[in-house]
Amino acid sequence: MSSLLSIKNMSVNFDTPRGSLEAVRGVDIEIPAGMSVGVVGESGSGKTVMCRAAMGLLQGSTVNRTGTVIFDGNELTAMSKEQVRELFGSGMAMIFQDPLTALNPVRRIGAQVSEGLRIRLGMSKSDAMARSKELLELVRIPNAAAVLKSFPYQLSGGMRQRVMIAIAIACNPKLLFADEPTTALDVTVQAQILQLLRELREDLKMSMVLVTHDLGVVAGNTDYVAVMYAGEVVEYAPTKKLFADMRMPYTEALLDSIPRVDHKSGTRLSVIAGRLPDPTNRPAGCGFAPRCKYAQDKCTTDHPELKTDPDGHIYRCWFPIGEAL
Amino acid sequence: MFKFKELSKPTQLCVAWLGLMMFFALFGPFLPIENWTFVYEDDLGVTPFSPGHILGTDNNGYDLLSSVISGTRMSVFIAVTAVGLGGLIGSALGITAAFVRGKVDLVLSTAFNVGLAIPNLVLALALVSVLATNVDMTEVVPIWRRVVVLVISLTIVLIPILGRIARGATLTWSGREFVTAARSMGMRDMQIIRKHIVPNVLPALIAVAFLAFGVVIIAEASLSLLGVGIPDGGSWGGMIARGRNDLEYSPHVLYIPVIFLAITVISTNQIGEVLRGRLDGRESKV
Repeated sequence: MSSLLSIKNMSVNFDTPRGSLEAVRGVDIEIPAGMSVGVVGESGSGKTVMCRAAMGLLQGSTVNRTGTVIFDGNELTAMSKEQVRELFGSGMAMIFQDPLTALNPVRRIGAQVSEGLRIRLGMSKSDAMARSKELLELVRIPNAAAVLKSFPYQLSGGMRQRVMIAIAIACNPKLLFADEPTTALDVTVQAQILQLLRELREDLKMSMVLVTHDLGVVAGNTDYVAVMYAGEVVEYAPTKKLFADMRMPYTEALLDSIPRVDHKSGTRLSVIAGRLPDPTNRPAGCGFAPRCKYAQDKCTTDHPELKTDPDGHIYRCWFPIGEAL
Repeated sequence: MFKFKELSKPTQLCVAWLGLMMFFALFGPFLPIENWTFVYEDDLGVTPFSPGHILGTDNNGYDLLSSVISGTRMSVFIAVTAVGLGGLIGSALGITAAFVRGKVDLVLSTAFNVGLAIPNLVLALALVSVLATNVDMTEVVPIWRRVVVLVISLTIVLIPILGRIARGATLTWSGREFVTAARSMGMRDMQIIRKHIVPNVLPALIAVAFLAFGVVIIAEASLSLLGVGIPDGGSWGGMIARGRNDLEYSPHVLYIPVIFLAITVISTNQIGEVLRGRLDGRESKV
């Protein structure tokens, strides 16, 4: 199985007045071709930054990215901005978290959907408009012709997110980053959007990186899961295996904190006490150690290395679950 | 987007007044009235609403209606050109500064701040008096050179004002997600600026341009009053400069250009404010 995107030892630092903020550190991850990979973690664990850094969308003099990113045989980290740009749209595309801000408020939907087609595929204005209409129909927007002429504020949140998806898939990308595509939407619309993404992915044979903090979404929509904590991928495994046989105490704690139907009424929902370590001042040991119920002395002093089980299950823990102490 | 009927009564009056001024500026010479330099030797210092001279004449026998219409032409031409050029250059610099950030931004912002720190009128006065005078004092400076220099100096005054607005607006818009989204589609920076930044920055700029228009008209009048602008009643300022000599005997010669100037400035300010209000309203809706 070949990997479409492979990130090797990627770190992202932001220079801040308080010192260097390490948002992502030493991420190693392989996205297999044709597969859907979920990225889960708490707010601030570096999910969004990882995706944007992988695409090279983080701009500015305060951003430092190290490591290697290889997409479809191209080493993005060694290419110029212009060369990477050639891969946007038809190679990689991104759906953004908040469809309210990811559309330009003063431009019509048609102009924004057809833009990518004209720039990337060199279509004429009328061809691009016709294709835009097809794309809107593909993402199940009723009355596509009228929507093409409307402004973002005239559409509902779900419609806007569909438009965002239409923009992202316009040039038939091989890899789609969906950065919390359903966070800003209500539950019924969430289900529709996820269903749509699943179908589009099968029809267009795209790979997808689905960023979310909802483990339920991951369970139903992905082939692999990467669990992120404090800027690191702490566990990476096929979805089924992760849910059945997690190695990382953090993953276990995450799963325990999901409300369940078979919980006795009156029992309290278990929470993970404490919070993420300060990204400008990372602890020497495992970042999760202060919150981990299995933590030992070694956990607070030595940073755990990545371990790989023979079946490809990757995790970062000194004392993984299911291993004799 | 802006229906005339939906505007408030005072705003409608302002729009109408500016329309009249634009009409005078564009079609003044084609109106069936005497050239303003024609001297009515029998009607010296006639008060307004006299037969044949609705706004009266001054002590030299110039018809004031004719003068004020031709003055409108000059004042509006100077103001429109200066605001247009200043807006173009200022917004180009401001948008570049905010979009590129870093050292470019530092240099341009500092330049804007230095420009803003010097009082408008002093800067314009200095520029005009250096550029629009001859070494040989007896040689007369041609009027076109006065106009060009006046436009250039007012443009220079306007660049930092409009540039800072453009920079500020660009800073807020370029941080929006849709700019990142556009980048993720493979748009070049120039395309992003043209298609995503400019349409968002433009409304704010237009609103401020209206306010700047008023500032420029007053600046031009002040310079003319000080004797470095358009001489001999060629513009509103020039008329005011000439009228103040006869303030004692025929005050209307001073009042008429002052009233025109005041109503015009009030109108541009009013329309600028309304535009700004509308645009803020739209932004909150988005």
